[in-house]
Amino acid sequence: MTDAPIAAPVPGSSLTEAIAERWVSLSMNSWPGAARPFLSEEKDPFRNPIGSTVRRNLHILAREVLGGMQEASVAPALDALVRLHAVQDLSPGDAVRFVFDLRTAIRERAGTVPETMHARIDSLALMAFSQYARCREQIFELRLREIRFRAECATR
Amino acid sequence: MPGTLVQIESKPPRGDWTDPHVEFRKGSICYSAAPKNLEYLGLPNPRVWQPLDADWKLPPDWKRILLEGMKDRLKKYRSFRLFMEICVRCGACADKCHFYLGSADPKNMPVMRAELMRSVYRRYFTLTGRLFGALAGARELTEDVVKEWFYYFYQCTECRRCSVFCPYGIDTAEITMMGRELLNLIGCNTNWILEPAANCFRMGNHLGIQPHGFKDSIDFAAEEASEITGLKIEVPIQRKGAEVLFVMPSADYFASPHYYTLLGYLMLFHEIGLDYTVSAYASEGGNFGLFSSHEMMKRLNAKIYEEARRLGVKWILGGECGHMWRVLHQYMDTMNGPADFLEVPVSPMTGTVFENTRSTKMVHICEFTADLIHHGRLRLDPSRNDHWNVTYHDSCNPARGMGLLEEPRYILNSVSRHFHEMPENTIREQTFCCGSGAGLGTDENLEMRLRGGFPRANAVKYVKEKYGVNLLTCICAIDKATLPTLLEYWVPGVEVAGVHELLGNALVMTGEKERTADLRGEPFAPARESEALHA
Amino acid sequence: MRAFWSLLAVAALVLVGLAGAAAAGGRVILALAVPYAAFAVFLGGFCWRVVRWSRAPVPFRIPVTCGQQKSLPWIRSSRIDNPFTVPAVVVRMAGEVLLFRSLFRNNRARLAGERLVLGENKYLWLGSLAFHWSLLMILLRHLRLFMEPVPALVNRLEQLDGFFQLGAPPIYLSDIALLASLGYLIVRRFRDPMVRYISLFTDYFALLLLLGIAGTGMLMRYYLRADIVSVKQLALSIAAFHPVVPSALSPVFLVHLLLVSTLAAYFPFSKLMHAGGVFLSPTRNLANNSRSRRHVNPWNYPVKTHPYAEWEEEFREKLKEAGIPLEAEHAGNARTD
Ligand code: HEM
Ligand code: SF4
Ligand code: SF4
Repeated sequence: MTDAPIAAPVPGSSLTEAIAERWVSLSMNSWPGAARPFLSEEKDPFRNPIGSTVRRNLHILAREVLGGMQEASVAPALDALVRLHAVQDLSPGDAVRFVFDLRTAIRERAGTVPETMHARIDSLALMAFSQYARCREQIFELRLREIRFRAECATR
Repeated sequence: MPGTLVQIESKPPRGDWTDPHVEFRKGSICYSAAPKNLEYLGLPNPRVWQPLDADWKLPPDWKRILLEGMKDRLKKYRSFRLFMEICVRCGACADKCHFYLGSADPKNMPVMRAELMRSVYRRYFTLTGRLFGALAGARELTEDVVKEWFYYFYQCTECRRCSVFCPYGIDTAEITMMGRELLNLIGCNTNWILEPAANCFRMGNHLGIQPHGFKDSIDFAAEEASEITGLKIEVPIQRKGAEVLFVMPSADYFASPHYYTLLGYLMLFHEIGLDYTVSAYASEGGNFGLFSSHEMMKRLNAKIYEEARRLGVKWILGGECGHMWRVLHQYMDTMNGPADFLEVPVSPMTGTVFENTRSTKMVHICEFTADLIHHGRLRLDPSRNDHWNVTYHDSCNPARGMGLLEEPRYILNSVSRHFHEMPENTIREQTFCCGSGAGLGTDENLEMRLRGGFPRANAVKYVKEKYGVNLLTCICAIDKATLPTLLEYWVPGVEVAGVHELLGNALVMTGEKERTADLRGEPFAPARESEALHA
Repeated sequence: MRAFWSLLAVAALVLVGLAGAAAAGGRVILALAVPYAAFAVFLGGFCWRVVRWSRAPVPFRIPVTCGQQKSLPWIRSSRIDNPFTVPAVVVRMAGEVLLFRSLFRNNRARLAGERLVLGENKYLWLGSLAFHWSLLMILLRHLRLFMEPVPALVNRLEQLDGFFQLGAPPIYLSDIALLASLGYLIVRRFRDPMVRYISLFTDYFALLLLLGIAGTGMLMRYYLRADIVSVKQLALSIAAFHPVVPSALSPVFLVHLLLVSTLAAYFPFSKLMHAGGVFLSPTRNLANNSRSRRHVNPWNYPVKTHPYAEWEEEFREKLKEAGIPLEAEHAGNARTD
């Protein structure tokens, strides 16, 4: 595309948007084959709440990684994505792999990936891993609670 | 480059639905039914197996059994035959299913779920399917198809949302019911459905509580209600000659937060002096037969009329439960009626004749209570619910199998002052299912439930953020059992309660002691003095 | 792939029509034998399907309720979306058949900021309604070919349809609507990923066949004018079971006729039968009065239950301990174990 250095891509600029869009389509590859056309092509948020959640939050994350990296907007966006992935038929790797796709998206759209981006993507990945682990843990806790309740019934 | 280090699973980019292969994973399936439950109910092919096994140990002639079962049902149900034949695949229903919306799995589109069965129907029961095979959309019935059926028919909560939008009213729930009946013929069933069914058949309720346990639970609740109110509240069990038999889902006296709803009922009955009784024999209004076969539904339902006849009551009152009311409203009278030994229900307090129940003689508690409130028979202090910002979740069955929409809202608006609706197209007849109905509400299936509950949670999140809603009310035992888990994951900070729990909070009883806390023991909101006490 | 096969099938039909039109014997077959056979298949097949449906019992009253039930007199019930009486059901069905009421409920959502706002999506409804109504209009207009004298109603419809007097001969509104709506329905099948996924051969075939019929029909009206006199001669003779094949029948007309015959013959064996089925759908054509009037299941059969007496027998000791009154009190005393 362009060789322009992206050390300071303006958030909301067309390059950022292009990177984010590319990121969205790369990240769809984590999903099972049959689901992909729907997730990536259908734009309507109600017909496709998953696809639209993914798109919306990836755009937020792209803006932050390329821009200010504000914790306050990174954390909820990442949580929304990982929370959604954590209940699907995705392996743990697939559930957080989308973070690394950003590197590819930047390289493809901007030519190079500056050092600062590498560091940010790495820390994003770590955050995603721990958030994923938290979500899974929560699911198991919730499951345990239901099992415990069932056992209580049986012994009463 | 780390991106390439992550193993890339490559699957075909554009799946063709005719491939029946499904991958069973823990977390998104229900486990098989234990042989003892099948044996107790006299169902075919009891054995030890799991959906995760490669060999399902089907009977040798499983294919013949399935096809004959299908033929039989095509003859007996116009709905089945019609729904197999008239779908135009317009796609209006496609994005109406919460499981599709929450999983993006295209086979969860209602039309596709039905097509799994239709393709087999075409292959074996239509001329074009037999002649042109795949070109006519026909598929061979193979063991993989059986597994696919199992996966997707136990991934439909029979909520009927799809049917609302279909131009022909094609009800995928009906097709799922047929699919499950067929799977039952070859012993492919789930324990979460058949164990409650077996319990209910033997003991009288899903949880398998024996009569003395039933009495203990009821007495315990009566004592607690007495303590809260300072009155002497008693619950007669199997008392002959009472006017009304009260039937509720067993979760009401055994699970939480259902239990607070039970306290609400008991306080209401005491306050109005209702001449009623409950029964350990008919200690379950819910009916997991609905989730396995019409025959099982009938077998489990029979005890309600039988008990009403034995006790010599005049009519029957039913508690808060969703699928229980689907059966009571649309099936009971046809299956086990006519109830000519009962009388047309009349409210002893208001004299209202419940004309709409003239034949079945069973009244929904929300109809009964709404009538009491409308006639000014209850003293209510809605400020006692001021600590709750309330929304109401229409449960699928009362909404789409009955149309019970306004009665609970009328009650809620009378007992609370902070009631907020969720977005228009997620309530009433368009309500989103909790994702755990129709026998899917088990812990081993939790991931799937969380997917199915996503659209509902989305709407709850909206009212939470907009109005600060912190309580979701509903009139369904399955909702009350499963939504707390779902909301904790998707929308933490919103609790779940029955409508009659809030009624119990607001009900000002004659001679009650001063109450400072609600039925859960949480203190009422302060600053009540400023507002004139309603009572 | 499925779309490709359907296109191929329709193209083959067109070619067969053109080839047949070239030979004298072919013309007789196309103008007489095929239409008669197709019409017979249509009538027979349609009746057979409807009879088979109506002979299947409706064991349970299972309407899908889309509004407030009729319960207490002071609660306003939704009389049509949740009908309680037969006349209300008739109105509900009329809404379904004439206005596609359920399809009208279709909705989509927009995202305003972070929250979901559900909006309306009526394109499918509008497209289908336009398609079906223009189809009906065109069918009715065709009656002028089969009747002499032409009924006044048909003339009136024609006037209405050509109201705008655009072009010469005047373009009918129904023609435009049919083309536009068919175009929409076809494009939708290709473009919408969900609908593409669920579409079968028959879905494309029905649409393409109808497009072929509409295309050849309009070709005759607006471009390659057919000899109306001889067409009418043929139509009247067919209707009178006194067939004569005029020599001036154009190839386009014969292709049109072949496609129509194919549609007629295909109709009873396809999803097009929804036209009959919509009237019989138990989730729509029953009143939601199951608690006030007993619905009878013709094949209701006795099942094995757990009667009270057996239950009491099984739990006698526990019932006694709990102090729950027993039915067979004396029998309890007689027991020795
Ligand atoms: C009582 C009569 C009829 C009613 C109530 C009716 C209703 C409907 C409805 C609601 C749809 C779904 C919406 C859509 O996909 O467009 C539909 C689809 C369709 N109808 Fe009808 N219809 C009737 C008669 C007919 C007849 C006589 C024909 C053809 C000769 C026909 C051909 C079609 C076709 C081809 C479609 C599928 C459109 C698509 O593929 O998207 N219909 N009909
Ligand atoms: S809405 Fe009805 S006709 Fe349309 S695809 Fe769904 S089931 Fe078929
Ligand atoms: S009944 Fe409910 S769960 Fe089943 S397919 Fe329809 S919308 Fe989905």
